[in-house]
Amino acid sequence: MTEQTKSKPVPDISETTRPFWDGIKSNEFRVQFDPSTGAPQFYPRSTSLATGRTDLEWRAVSGKGTVYTYSSTLVPIPGFEDDVPYILAMIDLEEGVRILANMVNVTEDEIEIGMPVRVAFEQRAEDVTYFCFEPDS
Amino acid sequence: MADTPPKNHLAARDVVIAAYGETRIERRSGKTPYEFAALAFEEIMSKTGLAPADIDGFATNVPHSESINQYYTSYLCDYLGVTPRWMQISDHGGGSALAGVSRAAMAIQAGMCEVAMVLCADTPSSSWRAANGGFRVAFWDPTGIQGPPGGFGLLMNRYMAQYDFKPEALGKLAVAQRDGAVLNDNAYEKLRVPITIEDYMNSRVISSPVRLLDCVMYADGAAGVLLTSTERARKMSAENLVFPSAYSEIVNFNGREAQPDITETGFSVVGPEVLAKAGMTPSDIRMFQPYDDFLIAEMLQLEQIGWCGRGEGSDFLLETDVSYRGILPINTGGGQISAGQIGLASGMTNLVEAVRQMTGQAGARQVSDPRNALVTGIGIIPYGRNWLVSNALTLEQ
Repeated sequence: MTEQTKSKPVPDISETTRPFWDGIKSNEFRVQFDPSTGAPQFYPRSTSLATGRTDLEWRAVSGKGTVYTYSSTLVPIPGFEDDVPYILAMIDLEEGVRILANMVNVTEDEIEIGMPVRVAFEQRAEDVTYFCFEPDS
Repeated sequence: MADTPPKNHLAARDVVIAAYGETRIERRSGKTPYEFAALAFEEIMSKTGLAPADIDGFATNVPHSESINQYYTSYLCDYLGVTPRWMQISDHGGGSALAGVSRAAMAIQAGMCEVAMVLCADTPSSSWRAANGGFRVAFWDPTGIQGPPGGFGLLMNRYMAQYDFKPEALGKLAVAQRDGAVLNDNAYEKLRVPITIEDYMNSRVISSPVRLLDCVMYADGAAGVLLTSTERARKMSAENLVFPSAYSEIVNFNGREAQPDITETGFSVVGPEVLAKAGMTPSDIRMFQPYDDFLIAEMLQLEQIGWCGRGEGSDFLLETDVSYRGILPINTGGGQISAGQIGLASGMTNLVEAVRQMTGQAGARQVSDPRNALVTGIGIIPYGRNWLVSNALTLEQ
């Protein structure tokens, strides 16, 4: 194992993404929806991809979905040396968006495409919460 | 967008590629992009008899190693003694070389310039000075994703779940490309060793299912082409003219879809479109020089440009001789995977090999009847989708 020399990155938070991170801190997963079409979108940003307006609405969602695809990382980036092998996944949420996240509480032998998962939360640093996903069994 | 396909701005054969230049590809050379650019520039000057004062158009890529320099293109012109009346930098990632060629042709047609250098250089294995913002700072980097191998691991695993994937098909492609690199004096020296399908299958996993021999290796180097009007080229008595005959690009393919099929790429649009513009079908293509950051990307291109159906890439590769002797030669100089990826200049590696083949200068790996080629570019991994830039250029004698 390579020695861990660096801590894991923490998210840069902007004015637009702050409501998302406030939600994560209170263990709530929030997604933006276009008010006229009802279409959800992710990652958080200012612009509605449907209309070009900046009138997106935040809603708390279930945090439940399924694994769309995954990859197990054997060569880590700095800060993740102690986690090897760690699993990255794309999660398709029930509400219709796709999330990139780490999978926890599951091994590469156990995970499969289509597996039901739910959001979980990890303390990344003092006062910084990040999101991940785990099997929803 | 209108229902009619975009116009083919290259249909009139009024612009030509008159020369190419390429340095040897090195690892950890300790050199700068300027130094490599100078060598490729010198080769083109020497082949054409031109001097720096004759170049009035200049296009390049954003290099990883100079991407925090907001004045790079002007500095490069200054370094080379070029005084362009038209200048362009492309940040299409690996699509930058072809984007530069397309735009240089437009500039020549518009009368902005007459002799345009499209010169791409990068030295990421010696100096990495890039900082990507956007979604990455909050939703990408904190996940620990292993850069492009992580992104392509996610893509490839999904492909394997949706389709009948046979890893030996990519192994066969890896071997064919490596055989080309062995015969390519400009390929990175340490990659000029033959490999077998077993070597591919046994190479270590980086981000599952992506193995080491699925991936490119960052390297340093430069390559470029000189474009001019057909009229001017004839006056220069350039002997081997290569005509760019059709070009298409798409950026942010399926960018408004929240849960798209990650295996579907922009080549499903630009592949059939560029061939229609050129009046060709896949079976007319004499050689394919595809952008190859990962082997799976080449399989997706074969399917979506139209050599075979979706999910049929494995059988197509296993049934087709893709070596330089074959019916569809692919990346005859080793591609980036076996010659080395010169950072964001790398799309020029595939293009220069096509021009070299089409002008009969490929030596021991020369393709017979090199009357045309299809070259592609790929750029930039987005959030939760495929890739952001797909572009394609046909070349004809």
